[in-house]
Amino acid sequence: MSGCGLILRTAAAARVCRALVAFTESRRPLRTSPRSATFAKELFLGKIEKKGVFPFPEVSQDELNEINQLVGPVEKFFMEEVDSRRIDQEGKIPDETLENLKKLGLFGIQVPEEYGGLGLSNTMYARLGEIISQDGSITVTLAAHQAIGLKGIILAGSEEQKARYLPKLASGEHIAAFCLTEPASGSDAASIRARAVLSEDKKHYILNGSKVWITNGGLASIFTVFAKTEIADPDGSVKDKITAFIVERDFGGITNGKPEDKLGIRGSNTCEVHFENTKVPVENVLGDVGGGFKVAMNILNSGRFSMGSTVAGMLKRLIEMTAEYACTRKQFNKNLSEFGLIQEKFALMAQKAYVMESMSYLTAGMLDQPGFPDCSIEAAMVKVFSSEAAWQCISEALQILGGSGYMKDYPYERMLRDSRILLIFEGTNEILRMYIALTGLQHAGRTLTARIKELKRGNMNTVMETIGRRLRDSLGRTVDLGLTGNLGVVHPSLADSARKLEENVYYFGRTVETLLLRFGKTIVEEQLLLKRVANILINLYGMTAVLSRASRAIRLGLRNHDHEVLLANTFCMEAHLQNLLSLSQLDKHAPENLDEQIKKVAQQILEKRAYICAHPLDRAS
Amino acid sequence: MSWAQAALLARGLSRGWGGLCGAALRGAPFSQVAALALRGLHRSAAACSSDLSLVPSPPESQRRPVKVLEPHEELFKQAPGGERDKASFVRAVQCFGQQDVRRRGHVDFIYLALRKMREFGVQRDLAVYNLLLDVFPKEVFRPRNVFQRMFVHYPRQQECGVAVLEQMEQHGVMPDTQTEFLLTQIFGRRSYPMLKLVRMKLWLTRFKNVNPFPVPLHLPPDPVDLAKLGLRHMEPDLSARVTVYQMSLPSDPASPEEPAQPHIVGTPVSSAGIQSPDQQAALARHNPARPIFVEGPFSLWLRDKCVYYHILRADLLPPEERDVEEVPEEWSLFYPMQLDLEYARSAWDDSEFDINEVEEGPIFAMCIAGAHDQATLAKWIQGLQETNPALARIPVVFRLAGSAGELLTSSGMEEPPPPRPEAQEEEEVPQRQQQGQG
Repeated sequence: MSGCGLILRTAAAARVCRALVAFTESRRPLRTSPRSATFAKELFLGKIEKKGVFPFPEVSQDELNEINQLVGPVEKFFMEEVDSRRIDQEGKIPDETLENLKKLGLFGIQVPEEYGGLGLSNTMYARLGEIISQDGSITVTLAAHQAIGLKGIILAGSEEQKARYLPKLASGEHIAAFCLTEPASGSDAASIRARAVLSEDKKHYILNGSKVWITNGGLASIFTVFAKTEIADPDGSVKDKITAFIVERDFGGITNGKPEDKLGIRGSNTCEVHFENTKVPVENVLGDVGGGFKVAMNILNSGRFSMGSTVAGMLKRLIEMTAEYACTRKQFNKNLSEFGLIQEKFALMAQKAYVMESMSYLTAGMLDQPGFPDCSIEAAMVKVFSSEAAWQCISEALQILGGSGYMKDYPYERMLRDSRILLIFEGTNEILRMYIALTGLQHAGRTLTARIKELKRGNMNTVMETIGRRLRDSLGRTVDLGLTGNLGVVHPSLADSARKLEENVYYFGRTVETLLLRFGKTIVEEQLLLKRVANILINLYGMTAVLSRASRAIRLGLRNHDHEVLLANTFCMEAHLQNLLSLSQLDKHAPENLDEQIKKVAQQILEKRAYICAHPLDRAS
Repeated sequence: MSWAQAALLARGLSRGWGGLCGAALRGAPFSQVAALALRGLHRSAAACSSDLSLVPSPPESQRRPVKVLEPHEELFKQAPGGERDKASFVRAVQCFGQQDVRRRGHVDFIYLALRKMREFGVQRDLAVYNLLLDVFPKEVFRPRNVFQRMFVHYPRQQECGVAVLEQMEQHGVMPDTQTEFLLTQIFGRRSYPMLKLVRMKLWLTRFKNVNPFPVPLHLPPDPVDLAKLGLRHMEPDLSARVTVYQMSLPSDPASPEEPAQPHIVGTPVSSAGIQSPDQQAALARHNPARPIFVEGPFSLWLRDKCVYYHILRADLLPPEERDVEEVPEEWSLFYPMQLDLEYARSAWDDSEFDINEVEEGPIFAMCIAGAHDQATLAKWIQGLQETNPALARIPVVFRLAGSAGELLTSSGMEEPPPPRPEAQEEEEVPQRQQQGQG
């Protein structure tokens, strides 16, 4: 029953569905059609949208076989032929490795089959990501190529553009790069300096500008470039707007700087790319002229969900390696594995891996549902959670390993270095938290507009109703959002955790309403509050994902499902407590809330641009 | 232990303190209070003049007509070649110690030495104060029984000891353990100088770093450096850049009124200005239809030196002309910069209102110039135009006040204007205005 919704999805891997795939893929333009409100947005209203989340999304047996067939050779290749240490030391992926990757079809995982790609669904892409994550440099190279580099052509390209570029990109003959960042412009689109000017004959754009930190910049032949163009408004005024272009290296005038020397992912190629009077034909405008901003946003939003499974794959291998060490290394006539403080670290790693895996595949499953649901909040949550968990878990793994974790002879320090970038690229976690919180609050704010207006106007009915509800809440109400009970979707052995989730969701909805009432649209400036809102939401999503997955595991009787229940319950317990703390901090005048003090400390330091305390050894006389 | 004793002593002695104070000050206590308050505002030359200290001024100086040498004055005169530094001062004190084993007249000598300290430039030197205290004979003035302790034992000597400490306090010199050791040797633990020392140890440490905007102890002698220091002192933005627009030219005594540079008029003129990037941006945004003003001079005290500065400012825009800061439609690639909601912050969560926050017009730049006439300041404006091209289109009005130190826009400062510096030109006409400079 759970798979019935999925049968219709863009199951591209199934060879028989070629026509259907072509139809759905080609119909995937910029996601502008109205979409159903998704799970995360409904959480802001204190509701759990069960559809799409419960039961946990499944793939059919055919697809599973298909993906297992694909996974086998890729795994073998990575185990036997990829020498991560050499890649890291030399700062370059060897050519033969790249060639083999191309042969395996890994450069066109999500390119539709009609254009020569594998045409895999998001779920299967996530599954492959688990294996590719064996080497950070290769992961990033492939992601820059297809998650952002050529994604624009798939999402916004015309038929001609697709037919022209995708086959060669899918085969890996051409490598793609995504050129957005500039020296003066990170996430600030208004300060983009690159400029494209229409030529006299109106057949070309002349592109000028510099882009920095372009992954694959030195390898790529096809660039997705964002530049300012002058657009005449209907009212006659001329405005600068961003336009996306597909630029081939053969267009001329493209140079790149030397590869940057980086902390981690040293094998990936990152460099500056300069465009000097590059002539770009007008046919190569991606999407509409002046519509580059939306193109960029869609590309960035669509690429994030895969980080969850990638990191989970890496963590699973890390657990194996460190467990091996902990069970063989003896200290005081005991194995390391017998010490409580070491056991705690394994529990943490397993829990994080389980949660991010659940979140990631839940999101992938939601994305694969028909109707092109907007899961950008969910994808951002997966990215934030998994990148932070990766950094934390690898750091704990190094603790287990002690000194050998720090040595270059072992792969652990490389993993640590490689994982640091996860918190930074594809939108820093800080910025994504803003995105998560503000997008949700926007949705809740629109829905609650009428209510809040009446409250502000002092409509007696609404006010009394609100007060009554507050009273009932404060007297301790039992929240039932229909997860548990006879018709519940959560298995009874997880009922406690489900009730915790329901309680958190209900009070989160109340808190959001209060926040909107208090701050309205100026909540944009309250970044510390928004951070807490985002943290709560990430926890709620994680709780939902593990409850859904563990329930499914019990019902199907999957192997070791009791272990899953254990992990799910511990995570829900911890997340519940964290949420309670965050919720209380969001209250007005909460003693737990130290925002004012924190801001003051920062202001005093930043005013002097230094640490201003006197040295502990200083004397007054 | 000793501190506890001292604290007890302090409480006991505080009753008797008034009498001693009155005796020592020889003036009404109220005048002392007023003078102290003044000193709190500006640690300036006024604070250091000797009439505020406990050191009695020599009676001869009031009569004036006959210049009679004070006793022991010859000790400070004998430095060959008129060299007046720490070494000669120390030599003088040592000479006194060697003259007479009984140290006859040491109180007079110490008072004299205290008066001479500024002359020798050792008024901030702790070692010299300790040396002076060392002049007192040891063990002689210590009370030996309960009756001596009850009444002020050797009041004149104790008074003198207090005077030494008082002068230390005025110059911000912190006593150290040696000072304490000397005082216990001389006067014993229960004495007025010790009480003074205890209080100094308590309060001087607390007041030492009370100023959040510390001024260096030794100010640079060069006026340009001093101007830079003053500008940095006033400008909170660390990104601000100090520019020296004109170095002082050596004045030519032969032709003081050179036709080529009439504005210098014999006085060496230099000017240094400061402007932060934010101010530069604000000036670039300024509407050229509205004039901007050069105002000043306003005074700034840096320890005992006063510098005068000018500001370049504009009037506050009327509310209807202020352009609302708009969030561009497509700005952040990653998150919405504004929410599309109709309601804003509730009144009870609006903590923006601040009674201390008075809106003023923007200030675009500041400068400290050697002369305060319009021609010099026009040069500054010209120099500013190099980095601020927008300034060429904006009319500049000079509003130079004759007397320094009063804000023209507001009701004025509470303090009376300080005396005019000698460098200021007499020819300045108050409220002289000129349109369209630059």
